[in-house]
Amino acid sequence: MSSESSLFSHRWLPALLLAPLMLLIVLFFYVPVFQAFYWSFFLEQPFGGGSEFVGLQNFQRVLSDPEFWGATGRTVIFMLTASSLAVIVPLMLAVAADRKIGMSYPARNILVWPKGIAGASIGVVFAFIFNPFVGLMAPLNSLFPGLWNPGIDGTDAFVTLVAAHVWSGIPFNFVILLAGLRSIPPTMYQAAAMDGAGPWRRIFDVQLPLIMPQLFLTFVLEFTESITSVFALIDTITGGGPGGSTTLLVYKIYVDGFRGFDLSGASTQTAILMVFVLLLAACQFFFLGRRINYER
Amino acid sequence: MNKFTLAAVAAVMAGAGSAQATDIEFWYGNTGNVEVAIKAQCDAFNASQSEHKVNCVGQGSYEVSMQKAIAAYRAKNHPVLIQFFDAGTLDLMLSGAVEPVQDLMPEVKWDSYIAGARAYYETSKGKLFAQPYNSSTLLFYTNKTELEKAGITETPTTWEGIIEAARKLKAAGHACPFVTDGDTWRILEQFSARHGLPIATKHNGYDGLDAEYVINSTFAAKHLANLVEWRKEGLVRLAADTKAGNYTAAFNAGECAMMEQSSGSYAAAAKAFDGKYELTVDMAPMYKDYTRHNTFVGGASIYIMKGHDKPEIEAAKAFLDFLRKPEQQMAFTAATGYVPVTTDVLDTIAKSPDANSPKYATAKVGVESMNQPATADTRGIRLGFYVQFREVFMEETQKAFAGQQTMQVALDNTKKRGDQLLRRFEQTYKGKQLP
Repeated sequence: MSSESSLFSHRWLPALLLAPLMLLIVLFFYVPVFQAFYWSFFLEQPFGGGSEFVGLQNFQRVLSDPEFWGATGRTVIFMLTASSLAVIVPLMLAVAADRKIGMSYPARNILVWPKGIAGASIGVVFAFIFNPFVGLMAPLNSLFPGLWNPGIDGTDAFVTLVAAHVWSGIPFNFVILLAGLRSIPPTMYQAAAMDGAGPWRRIFDVQLPLIMPQLFLTFVLEFTESITSVFALIDTITGGGPGGSTTLLVYKIYVDGFRGFDLSGASTQTAILMVFVLLLAACQFFFLGRRINYER
Repeated sequence: MNKFTLAAVAAVMAGAGSAQATDIEFWYGNTGNVEVAIKAQCDAFNASQSEHKVNCVGQGSYEVSMQKAIAAYRAKNHPVLIQFFDAGTLDLMLSGAVEPVQDLMPEVKWDSYIAGARAYYETSKGKLFAQPYNSSTLLFYTNKTELEKAGITETPTTWEGIIEAARKLKAAGHACPFVTDGDTWRILEQFSARHGLPIATKHNGYDGLDAEYVINSTFAAKHLANLVEWRKEGLVRLAADTKAGNYTAAFNAGECAMMEQSSGSYAAAAKAFDGKYELTVDMAPMYKDYTRHNTFVGGASIYIMKGHDKPEIEAAKAFLDFLRKPEQQMAFTAATGYVPVTTDVLDTIAKSPDANSPKYATAKVGVESMNQPATADTRGIRLGFYVQFREVFMEETQKAFAGQQTMQVALDNTKKRGDQLLRRFEQTYKGKQLP
């Protein structure tokens, strides 16, 4: 045994201390995951009156369903637009707050506050902000009637969703990126400045390369997060509409399973989504992760 | 699936406290003034006797209530009584999780329920599965004050009349003559029923699980296409077109002059209009060339769930008996605008000094609407995964209203996707017979 384990005199104590957490993880993650995979091979009656093994039929059905691919396509678009913006916007803010410009100290504090707001609350607020009659866009709408209406126009609804997601992603990514920037030794800038590098040059040649580990972390988390955490926003802002334009995969699963009682279809899509997210994270680590230099 | 397990665990914890034999739970989904009325009935029942105690638990919506009931039933911690809405009727009938009320309470005079309310919840052999509770039907509301301002003295009763009135309102500068939310129940189901049109073959599924949707080829398709045109013309508005963002709120605030809505909204509309506008409420409009048939009963009914012992069932029966009492039904009607659906209550109202009071306004017209001549296609809807079908219908028609596809394409898609749902339902319940 290694030296760490000698911290505990009793060999069962570490296991005992871990047990409550493991129990929760098993109960709320592994059991449902196993059940979702299991049900995806069955046609399951909602009240459990009976179930029939159908092999891969559920997968066949889901994979040949244009609605599934529509929702998957929207999920990918959302992932690319919303998560990129959710990293780029905090990055700009962090670079600005890192510099000794006016208000950068209070900004470092204030920008973290939205972290304390639940997704559903953000949704309610954004639904109000983007309301076509009383929100931010209302003046534009009175000039050009019908220009902005997320209740009718699917693109408008999607934009609202992206904006809300980016906003809610600011605090966490901001903290990570700012911490990365703060940890760069000032001597590096001083040396660069001495060599005649201007502020922009210093950002692209010194700061960004040196915070690659943080950027990578935020991108990985954002990409996987954006797929699942958007649920609360969709549920409160658009309800998946209008015309299914904001029904991302995670919301479709909820609607099919919990409002339509199609447990098998929802389980099958859950299984597919989970594999997709795992593959995505694996790809990121495989293709990007190994190029990142963690040494300073 | 995380949520599912969470719900199951929550249900287990919720159930842990109620161990006493005569304590039973009743889950309902309504909120707002209806919830207040339901709570009042529970309190009244508990105060009226000491043998049983019903614990009424609000779940926030019909869907959430059902989700939790499914989880709880699988965890064997389900309530004795559960309220559920019209669209889930077949899902519950085939679930094997509920006991038909008529089997458990054969002594009750179930015939006193009006035919329109019975047909929706009874088996093909005429056995009532659930006790109708908060029953409603579709009615037509107008803001008489606004109509008169535009020179319309007579409340329209046909679609042709409504459109004529809407044009006048628009000419008078009214921004929102007629409002709807495009909900399946309102613009498809109730429209088809009162015009005598089928929604699916096999008499809307009453004659077998192998039914298919026909909504893209009946007159309903024409009406829905008309709605799109009328919206373009500025005569019909959708909920999202209104300032209020919610069509009932838009009507209640006086923003919109006419709407089709459940009788259950009457109380709120009357309250909002009080002293400002005059409200009229009538049967939902017809196209003039069509004969009027009955509208469906909407709202919800109460089911008794299986797997409970005798004292609990006795308590459930006592509570259901209590809810059927005329004075209870009348108080509930007066507080909510829901429609009483037993003949004895209607008689009692007719004989009471308040017979013409506005609080019973919807009772008379609602029952009249549900009592119109019925056909085999206007009994109700017995189609599987129907809740999901409603979502599909909304999604496809919203695209049509937004101009992304024509209404005919929307309805063709809806039929195709709906038929897939029906086939999957048939396969899920393979070997089960329609009761």
